[in-house]
Amino acid sequence: MASLEVENVVKRFGPVEALKGINLSADDGEFLVLVGPSGCGKSTLLNMIAGLDSITEGRIIIDGQVVNDVHPKDRDMAMVFQSYALYPNMTVERNISFGMEMRKVPKPERDKAVMEVAKLLQIEGLLKRRPGQLSGGQRQRVAMGRALVRNPKIFLFDEPLSNLDAKLRVEMRTEIKKLHQRLGTTIVYVTHDQIEAMTLATRIAVMQNGELHQFGAPQEIYDRPANTFVAGFMGSPPMNLIPARIGKNGTGLNAEIDTADERTLRLQLNGQADSVANRIDSEILVGLRPEAITDPESRDAGAIIQEVECLVEVTEPTGPDMLAVLRLGGIEAVSRMRSSSRVRPGERAKFAVNMSKAVLFDPETQQRI
Amino acid sequence: MSFHVSRPASGTQTFWRALLYTILIFFALIYLAPLYVMVITSLKSLDEIRAGNLMLPPLDPNFDAWAKSWSAACVGVECSGISRYFFNSFKMAIPAVAISTFMGAFNGYVLTKWRFRGADIVFALILFGCFIPFQIVLVPMATILGWLGLAQTTPGLILVHVTYGLCFTTLFFRNYYQAFPDELIRAAKLDGAGFFQTFWRVLLPNSLPIVVVTVIWQFTNIWNDFLFGASFASGNAAPMTVALNNVVNTSTSVKEYNVDMASAIYAALPTLIVYVLAGRYFVRGLMAGAVKG
Repeated sequence: MASLEVENVVKRFGPVEALKGINLSADDGEFLVLVGPSGCGKSTLLNMIAGLDSITEGRIIIDGQVVNDVHPKDRDMAMVFQSYALYPNMTVERNISFGMEMRKVPKPERDKAVMEVAKLLQIEGLLKRRPGQLSGGQRQRVAMGRALVRNPKIFLFDEPLSNLDAKLRVEMRTEIKKLHQRLGTTIVYVTHDQIEAMTLATRIAVMQNGELHQFGAPQEIYDRPANTFVAGFMGSPPMNLIPARIGKNGTGLNAEIDTADERTLRLQLNGQADSVANRIDSEILVGLRPEAITDPESRDAGAIIQEVECLVEVTEPTGPDMLAVLRLGGIEAVSRMRSSSRVRPGERAKFAVNMSKAVLFDPETQQRI
Repeated sequence: MSFHVSRPASGTQTFWRALLYTILIFFALIYLAPLYVMVITSLKSLDEIRAGNLMLPPLDPNFDAWAKSWSAACVGVECSGISRYFFNSFKMAIPAVAISTFMGAFNGYVLTKWRFRGADIVFALILFGCFIPFQIVLVPMATILGWLGLAQTTPGLILVHVTYGLCFTTLFFRNYYQAFPDELIRAAKLDGAGFFQTFWRVLLPNSLPIVVVTVIWQFTNIWNDFLFGASFASGNAAPMTVALNNVVNTSTSVKEYNVDMASAIYAALPTLIVYVLAGRYFVRGLMAGAVKG
C-alpha cells in the first residue's frame, strides 16, 4: 500500500526522447492505468517505476521517498509481465516462491504463503506443474500469483491480458478488478486497450509519443477529452469530430455545419456557448460521441435534443446496439442506437443530436476549447 | 464387409522410388566402408590380414588385438598399451570442455543480459578468435606455456584448449541468450535475484540444448585434436591422438594392422558415444530459434 508520484520524468535513449516530462500521481489504493498506442512510452515509464530502466531526468517518489537510485528488489514492487515471464525450469510452486526464496524467507512460511495465494487464484491443482504444461489463462494466474505472494507496496501490470483470447481477457479483467477491490493495493497498469483502461482504472493517463495528453478519472476523460487525440483514442467507435463554424443565433450561438448539398445544419450550443463567444465566424471541431447521435426513439430522456436529417450510408448491428455511419456535414459520423432501430442504408432519416454532450476543439491546436 | 486400402502406384513411380533407394544405399555403403574395414580388421588375426581379402569378414573373430592395443601395444619405445593415453585424453578433455563451456555461458550472459558500452565490439573481437588458424598460435602459445611452467603437462593442454575453445563457446551461448526473453531476467531482478543467482537459477537451467551442442562440439574438437597435443604434450602427458600416431608409426617390429585398427576405434569411441547419447539435442540445438515453438 503506497502512494506514487512521477515528477517531470524524462527518458532519453541517445538523442531520442522517449518520455518528455511526465507528471502523474496515484494515491494509496488507486488503480492507475497508462494507456496509449504502441511506442507511446507507457511500458518504459512502468519499467522506470519498477527500477528496471534508469531515469534520465525527474523523480519517482513512493510514499514520499525518492526512489530514483533504489534497486528494483528494494522498491517492494511486484510486476506481471506481458509474456508472464514464468521461469520454465521451475514448478508453479517454485515460480511463486522464488522471490521469497531470494529474500531468504524460511520454507514453512513460503509454503504457507504459496498455498494462500494458490487458493485465492484457484490454482492449487497446478502447483507441481511446470509453465510449459499450462494454458495461457493458467500461466496468467500463476504470473499474478507470483506478484501477489510478495504482498508488495505497488503492483505493476505490463499489458497482462494482451496474450489471452477475447473471452478469457474479459474474464481476467473482471478478476483483476475484484482482486484490486479485495486487496486495495495501489496498481499501475499498462495497456493499449482503451476498454481495459476505462473498465479498470480509477485514474487514466493517456499517452502518445512520450507525452502525457490527459490524466484524470475515466468518465472525465471519456466525456471531456483534452484534445482530439484523446477523443479519437478513447472510446470505440471513436468520438466524431465534425468541422463547423460558430455562428450567431439571436442571443445564443450555433455550430454551423456545411453539408454536401449546400444546406447548412445549425446546431445550437448550450453549455459551451460562453467558451466560444469570442470565436464567432471561426472554424471549430464539434466532438460528438456516437451515443450522442441517435435515432429519435433512442434519444436520451431529459436532454436538450436537436434533430437533423442525414443520409445513412452503412448500418452495423453489433447485437446490443446498432451502429450507423451517416453523412453529417463533410464527414462520415458514427451513430449508436438501439438494435431495434429501423434506419436503412441509403435512406435519409432524422437523427437526434444531444448537443449538451458536445465537446468543442480548436482545429489549429487540436485542444479542447 | 471388407475393403482394400491400397495406394494407386503406377509402374514408373515404383521404378523411380527403387532407383532413389538404390542410389542412397550405394552411397551409404561407401560411407560406411571404412568403419566396416576397421572393425573386421581389428577382429582378424595378423595371418588372416596378410592373406589379403580386405573386405571379407573374419574367419575366427576375436578381441586379441583389442586387448593388446589396450595394455601391450608399443607407443613409441614403451610397450604398455594405449590405456594410459586414453585416460590422459579424458583428464584433458573433461576439464577443458567443462571450463570452456561454463565460461562461454558466462560470457554469453554478460554480453546479452548485462550489456555494457562496447559489448558488440568485445563480442566481435572474441569472434575473431574463431578464424585464427591453429598453426599461427603454436609459437606464442609455447612461449606462454613455458613461462607458466605448464609445458608438456595436461593442465597446460587444458589451458590451450580452453583459450581456443572460448571463442566458439561464447559465440554459441551469446546467440542462444540473445533470443532468451529479457522479461525473465527482469522478473528475476524484481524477485530479488542478484547477478550470479540470475545466472545460476534462471539462465543456466534453461540452457540445456545449447549446453549439449557446446559440449559435443568442444568434446569432439578437443578429443580429436592432434596438433596441440603433439606440440605441447608429447611425452607421458600425450593425449590419445598422439599415442595413436605413435602406435601406428612404430618402426621397431612388424606392422600389426589389427592392433592399429583397434587403437583407432578406441580413439574414436568416446566422441561417437557422446554424439549418440546427445545427438538428439545437437540437431534440436542447431535448429533452435529457426521456428518459433
